[in-house]
Amino acid sequence: MNAFRDDVTAFADDYVLGLMSPTETELFEALMAADPALAAHVARLRDQLLPLDLSAEAQALPPGFAARLQAIIARTPQDGAPLPLSGDPTVAPVPANLPRAPRRWLAGLAASLVLGLALGFGGAMQRPAPAPQVVAVLLDDQGQPRAIIEDYGDETAQIRFVSDIEVPPGFAIQAWTLPSVEMGPRSLGVLDGPRAASLAGPDLPAPADAQLYEITLEPAGGSPTGRPTGPIIAKGLAAAQDI
Amino acid sequence: MTEDAEQRNRRLDRAVTDCAEGRPQGIDAILELEGPRLLGLARRILIRHDLAEEALQDAMVMVWRKAAQQRQGDGSSRGWIYAILRNRCLTILRDGARLSSLSPDELTSMQEARQELVSDDDWKLLAGKGRLGECLDALDDPARRAILLAHVAGYSHGEISARQGVPLGTAKSWIRRGLASLRECLS
Repeated sequence: MNAFRDDVTAFADDYVLGLMSPTETELFEALMAADPALAAHVARLRDQLLPLDLSAEAQALPPGFAARLQAIIARTPQDGAPLPLSGDPTVAPVPANLPRAPRRWLAGLAASLVLGLALGFGGAMQRPAPAPQVVAVLLDDQGQPRAIIEDYGDETAQIRFVSDIEVPPGFAIQAWTLPSVEMGPRSLGVLDGPRAASLAGPDLPAPADAQLYEITLEPAGGSPTGRPTGPIIAKGLAAAQDI
Repeated sequence: MTEDAEQRNRRLDRAVTDCAEGRPQGIDAILELEGPRLLGLARRILIRHDLAEEALQDAMVMVWRKAAQQRQGDGSSRGWIYAILRNRCLTILRDGARLSSLSPDELTSMQEARQELVSDDDWKLLAGKGRLGECLDALDDPARRAILLAHVAGYSHGEISARQGVPLGTAKSWIRRGLASLRECLS
């Protein structure tokens, strides 16, 4: 048992007990999706604690509950099917409205994992040596990781995509960050498709923990207004890497 | 496991498979098998009927969406479904904006009702008759209370430390050590 495993075990405990913030929960679920041993560990603990849930006193469902639910389900697409893009791009997200930043360690862990580094919950662990100042895992509105941005804070950033994103002809993907509400969203660069790329953005303040990053779908060549105009494909908060 | 329990687990597995393959009758089957008990769980955490029904509805929509991602071998379908509902309840409970429509009196009575769930006299009822109850009984009182406050009453780390009058780090370490002992006892 090493320190890393203890950390992951503690995350699993917090996850099963419901002690994580929504953002941490999303990141941890991304980790589990990529690590069957971790998912099995969580499932075992969940099943062991299940009797606590089953002791609640049963309550009759209100009349019509099942029918109302079926009506909602009939118009709910299932995950795994192509995701419709959504989100209102005209409203700049305000960091204060977002769930608090995840423990940076967890975000770094999730980032390293989706980047293809070994996690190996069941065995040895290769801990990444991060060079960027912040790493942001961008999740879509279904909570699925879509892209990772590593911001080196020297006007360069790396973006990598962890799932395919369909870009219709005549459109492009644009990466943004929100250094502060006063500055508003700033473009980091325009990409013609979901390919790993180096972004050379404008001269911005050093990236901070919990700074917002997002990618939007824009007309080819980038947003005509200099601000995000298209649907948000994915967004996420940065985790500082000064650990 | 009794024959009834095995049969129910098989039916739940089938219902989740139905959902995964896009057949909405899977949701009806889950409600038929577990609906009242699921609603009871939501009611226990959220106290209010309206919030509990909303949580159950949201959770079932999530089950529908995510069924294809629930892998065979990752524990029971039942455990997965209850976990989705608990998470939904906790999200509602911790969403300040969501609860801001309630009066201070309503919030206080919700908080008190949640506290009473984990009284030192009645906690054994929560764990049922199985091995889990025996293993919880073997824990130190503070560790057991912290775990039950989190899992049954939906308390956060901060709420547990405030309720127990200890620093946050102490509450976290109670939970961590308690669950380690619990895992060992249950294995």
